[in-house]
Amino acid sequence: MSATRRDFLRYGALAGAAGAALRLPLLAETAAGVSPFAPNQWLRIGADGRVTLVVARSEMGQGVRTSLAMILAEELEADWSSISIEQASPSPDYPDMNTGGSDSVISSWPVLRKAAASAREMLVAAAERRWGSPAGECRAERGFVVHAPTGRRLGFGALAADAAKLPVPKDPPLKDPKDFRIVGTRVPRIDGPAIVSGRAKYGLDTRVPDMLFAAIARCPVAGGKLVRFDAAKAKKVPGVRGVVAISNGIAVLADDTWAALEGRDALDVVWDEGRNAALSTEDLWRRLDEAAARPGRVSRKSGDVEAALAGATARFSATYRDTFQAHASVEPGSTIARVSSGRCEIWTPTQNPERVRREAAKLLGIAPENVRVHVTLIGGGFGRRLGADYAVEAVEVARAAGRAVQVVWSRPDEFRHDFLHPAGRADIAAGVDASGRIVAWTHRFTTFHLTMFGAFDPNAVDDPDVNPWGGYDNPYAIDNLRVEWTDVESPVATGAWRSVFYPPNVFARESLIDEIAHHLGEDPLALRRRHLEGKFPFATREVDRAELRAVLDLAAEKSGWSSPLAKVPGRRSGRGIACNVYHGRTLIAQVAEVSVGDAGDVRVHRVVTATDCGQVVNPLGLEGQVESGVAWALSYALKGEITIARGRVAETSYREFPVLALAEMPEVEVYAVASDRLNRPSGFGEMPVPAVAPAVANAIFAATGKRVRKLPIRPEDLRA
Amino acid sequence: MARYRFTVNGQPREVEAADPDMPLLWVLRDRLGLTGTKFGCGMGACGACTVLMAGEAVRSCQTPVSAAAGRRFTTIEGLSPDGGHPCQKAWLAEDVAQCGYCQPGMILEAAALLARTARPTDADIDRAFDGHVCRCGTYARVRRAVRRAGALGGAR
Repeated sequence: MSATRRDFLRYGALAGAAGAALRLPLLAETAAGVSPFAPNQWLRIGADGRVTLVVARSEMGQGVRTSLAMILAEELEADWSSISIEQASPSPDYPDMNTGGSDSVISSWPVLRKAAASAREMLVAAAERRWGSPAGECRAERGFVVHAPTGRRLGFGALAADAAKLPVPKDPPLKDPKDFRIVGTRVPRIDGPAIVSGRAKYGLDTRVPDMLFAAIARCPVAGGKLVRFDAAKAKKVPGVRGVVAISNGIAVLADDTWAALEGRDALDVVWDEGRNAALSTEDLWRRLDEAAARPGRVSRKSGDVEAALAGATARFSATYRDTFQAHASVEPGSTIARVSSGRCEIWTPTQNPERVRREAAKLLGIAPENVRVHVTLIGGGFGRRLGADYAVEAVEVARAAGRAVQVVWSRPDEFRHDFLHPAGRADIAAGVDASGRIVAWTHRFTTFHLTMFGAFDPNAVDDPDVNPWGGYDNPYAIDNLRVEWTDVESPVATGAWRSVFYPPNVFARESLIDEIAHHLGEDPLALRRRHLEGKFPFATREVDRAELRAVLDLAAEKSGWSSPLAKVPGRRSGRGIACNVYHGRTLIAQVAEVSVGDAGDVRVHRVVTATDCGQVVNPLGLEGQVESGVAWALSYALKGEITIARGRVAETSYREFPVLALAEMPEVEVYAVASDRLNRPSGFGEMPVPAVAPAVANAIFAATGKRVRKLPIRPEDLRA
Repeated sequence: MARYRFTVNGQPREVEAADPDMPLLWVLRDRLGLTGTKFGCGMGACGACTVLMAGEAVRSCQTPVSAAAGRRFTTIEGLSPDGGHPCQKAWLAEDVAQCGYCQPGMILEAAALLARTARPTDADIDRAFDGHVCRCGTYARVRRAVRRAGALGGAR
C-alpha cells in the first residue's frame, strides 16, 4: 500500500494507542507489569523482579543512565540485567534535573545509594518475616535475599509486595566499598542496543499524534527585529499548512520537515538588523582588548605581586587568546510542544527541563504544574542544551498553531543561533627569583558574559567568586599571586560550552609555566613538581598539591616522559605536558605527543591522561569521556573557529567549522590513580578538556621552538 | 503529485511527493516513520543520514526521492532483524556509542566498507569515515569496532 498522508495519520493513531492521547501519561504508568514496591521516587521493583530506576538527569552521551543504574544496582544488590531506566520529568519529586558541570554522578551518589539501601533493607526484612528468621541471618545478593544458615532464597520480585508494607528505614547502612561488585567494573552502555538498532529516540525522532513540523525564519543578526514579511510564496510550497509570526521570527508549519524547510526558504522577509548589523569579529576583539587594558575584579590575591615582580630576576609576560566556538552537536535543535486548555506538554532534548518548564509557564501565563516536560535523548549537549530558547520558541509556535508542532532547526540555524563559547584573552605576568622559584604571578582574563544565563549585569559577582576557572584555581604554590577577570557585555549569543572558561585559562597558565621551564632550562614536569607543595583553595575547599603531583607523576610514567620520543620521518616531533584541577575536585595531567610537518601541519599521535577522580563508577565510561574530551579539545586547539561578519555567524556548516575527523584521532590512554582521597566520585564530563590544548601547544614548542599563544593553532604559524 | 516506488529493508514502498527533490532522508523519517536515519546537516557533510543503496553507503539527504525510485535501500532498522549484524555486535562489544546520534550512519558506513573490503587497513577506514562527524569523539572505538566486525564476518 502507498505511504501517504493517510499512513502518516495512521502512524500517529498507533502512537496514540500506545498511550499518547491528549496527554502522554507518565512513563511510570505505562511500565510493563505492576510495581508493588516503590519505597521512594527513585526506584520500583515489580513482581517479576524488574527494577526500574528513575533517572532525573539528561542522557547526552556521558553515560549517565548507565552510571546511575550501576550505583543503584550496587547498593540494592540487584542483578544488573534486571535494571530498566525511566526518564523523570520535572516535579516536586525531582527538584534538581539540571545536567551540567559534570555533577550528575557526584550529586546522585549519596541520594541513590540511600534510596537503594532502604529498599534492600526492606526486602531483607520482608524475607526475615517470611521465614521467621532472626535479624542478621539474611542478606541481599544479586536480586535475591538469601538466608545464610539454610541457603533458602527468594527473589526480589517475590518479596516486593511484602517489603512494600514495611516502614522505610531512615538511615540504612551503606555497603562497604570493598564489597562493590558493579561499581568499578567495566559496564557497557545500558542503552547501547537501542542505539545500534536505531530504536533510540532523540528529540528529532519523537512523534506525537497529529503533529505538524515547523521551521522558523529568525533574524540572522542578534538583536534584530522583523519589519515585514510576505508568506504568499511559502504558502504555495506543497505540504505547507500555515505561516505564523512569533516573537523571534516567522514559523512555517507543514506536513513534513522538508516542506517546512522549503517553505521557510520561500518566505520574503525584511529584517531590521539593528545596531549589530555591521558587527565583526574585529569589533569584538577591540572590545575585549580595551577591557583587558583595565584592571578586572580581583578574585584571588596573596602577597605583594608588584613588589615581587619588581624584585624578580627574570620576568615573563604573555597574552593568550582563544576564539568563538560552536557546539556543533550532530543532532540539530528541535522541540515538540502542544498547548491546549491551559496546559502545555513539551518533548525536548534539554539539559535543563526545569528551566524549560519555568519559561514555558511564564510565556503562557500558567502555573508550572500545568507544563509537562518530557526529556528525550540528546544527540550531543555540551552545554548548548542548558538554554531553553529552542523549547520556549516551540511553545510559542504550538500556541499559535493550536496543535502539536515539532520545530526543527537546520544545520545553518544550529550554527547561526548557537550560544557560542566566547573568545577570551588571558594576560599573564610572572616573576622568577634567583633560585628559579616562581615568586610572582598575575593572571587577568577578559571575555564576554554568557547571555545564555541572562542579561549582562556589570555588578553581578558570584559568591564565592571562583572566576576565572583555571585562573582562580591556579594550583601552583606562588607566594605573590593576583587573579582578575572581566566580562564584557556580549552582543552575540554566548553560553556554556564543555568546561566553559577552563580551556582558555588553562591554555594560558600551562603554556607560561612551560615557557618559564624552557627559559630556566628545566624539565617542565620538574618545574611543576617543585611548585606543588602544601594546599590551594577552591571556594571553601582545599586541594592538597601532593595529589596533583602524584597524577603528574603517573602521566609522566605512563607516557614515558623521560625517555626519548620516537621520531616521525620528515617531521619534527615533540612531547608536552599540562595539568589541571577541576573545581577543586578532579585532578588531571595529560601528555601529548605531536609531530609537525614542514608545512606547519600538526598531527597529534598520542594523548596520555592520568587522573584522580575519586571513586571510578565505570572505567569504560571514564575512558569514553577522556576520548571524548580529547577529541573535543583537539577540535578547539586545531580545527574550526566561529567568526562574525555583518553581525552574523559566518560559518554555518561542518565544512566551514570543521571538527576533528576519525583519521585525526590520536591514541588515547587513560590511567586513574587508585585513590581513597574522596571515597566518592568527583565527576568526569568536562574534566578531560582543559589541559589538552596546552599539552599540544607545549609539545609543538618542543618540536619546533615556536610558542603558540593563540587558538586554534594554524599551520602558517608553524612552517619550518 | 508523483508516486515513487522503491524498496526499504526488503519491503516495497510507495510514496507520493509533490517535490521530486524531496530528500530520501525526509521520506524515510517523516513519511515512513524510520527515524533511525538521522538528520545532521542536510548537505552531505556529516554522514548521519547514511543508508545503504544496493549495499553502497549513500547520504540520504543528498538522494532526491526521484532518484530513489526503483532502488533498494537498507536503513539501520533493517540492517538485521535482531541487532545481530556483525557491525551491530561489534559496536556493542566495543561500547562505541556516546550520545549515539551519529552511530546508525557510522554502522551502515562500516557495513558498506566491509562488503567491499573484508579486512580494511587503517587507511581504508580513514577514507571510508572521512565526512562522518562524531562530536563525542568515539572515533577510536569506531575503528576498533570496524576491525572486530571484519573478524566477525563483516558485511552480512
